[in-house]
Amino acid sequence: MAIIDGLNKVFESKIRLGIMSVLVANGSADFATLKSLLELTDGNLASHTRNLEEVGYIRCEKKFIGRKPNTTYVITEEGREAFAAHIAALERFLKECRS
Amino acid sequence: MEEKDVKQTLDDIREMMSKSSRFQAISGWSIIVIGLYAAVASLMAAAVIGVGDWLPCCENLQCFAVMNTPERIRIVVFCAIGMFALSLLTVFVFAIVKSKRNNLRFVFDKRMYQMLIDFFIPLLAGGLLSMALVMQGHYGLTSSIMLLFYGLALVNCSHYTYPILRYLGYAELILGIIDCFTMSHALLFWFIGFSVIHIVFGIAYVLMFERRK
Repeated sequence: MAIIDGLNKVFESKIRLGIMSVLVANGSADFATLKSLLELTDGNLASHTRNLEEVGYIRCEKKFIGRKPNTTYVITEEGREAFAAHIAALERFLKECRS
Repeated sequence: MEEKDVKQTLDDIREMMSKSSRFQAISGWSIIVIGLYAAVASLMAAAVIGVGDWLPCCENLQCFAVMNTPERIRIVVFCAIGMFALSLLTVFVFAIVKSKRNNLRFVFDKRMYQMLIDFFIPLLAGGLLSMALVMQGHYGLTSSIMLLFYGLALVNCSHYTYPILRYLGYAELILGIIDCFTMSHALLFWFIGFSVIHIVFGIAYVLMFERRK
């Protein structure tokens, strides 16, 4: 694999990149929405969101709607910047390939 | 190979971003059901106005005389308003059920609010215009105005949901334009636009988006 400058290790996983894509587009999304959009199991999604939380790219908000617990993920400013930098690196790489 | 991978990744991201920001709660079954309501409503209207409008031999004076009776027109207008309210309610109930079944929350978020506003601006303008025309006794263009403004409303709000909704809007617009230039048969056009097209589109929608799972 060729080395591309400026790529973010956190986004090497397709699933984490998918979660970030949804959150960048919508600002926030709840657990069930993410699960159905990315077609993941509960455990799989939870482990990836935990990764993203640990690096501070997303924030988790837990509350109750009636009696049901609801988990919503919100993108942080840091996460937005990291995502933008990652995309920029990918696009830079494509441009270099063409020239 | 590398270049291909990167391109694919960027495409995936783009697709996920647009897919996730679409309003996916509208159920195809509700579109079919409102088509059926419209079928019932046009049959009722046909019974009230007289079936003359369905047949090509309508150009006799008697038919127009019956058309212009204020009470009958009032019945038809109430019929149309009732059907519209019932349709709206149906779309919402089906959307809530669909969200529940997909384990999603049905909330009035900013996107839905914006979608409703974009849908209702053309629709309300058209509704008021056709109401004014009926009140002033110009019945001729009512059905084409309803079709045209409904088509515009659909096209206007389609980018918040599945883009295919735009084609339903185009179909209504084309039908409305044909209706403008055709004398009489208003009820027939209304029936095709609000019943036949809805049912056909609803079936296509169900087959495309709701058959899996």
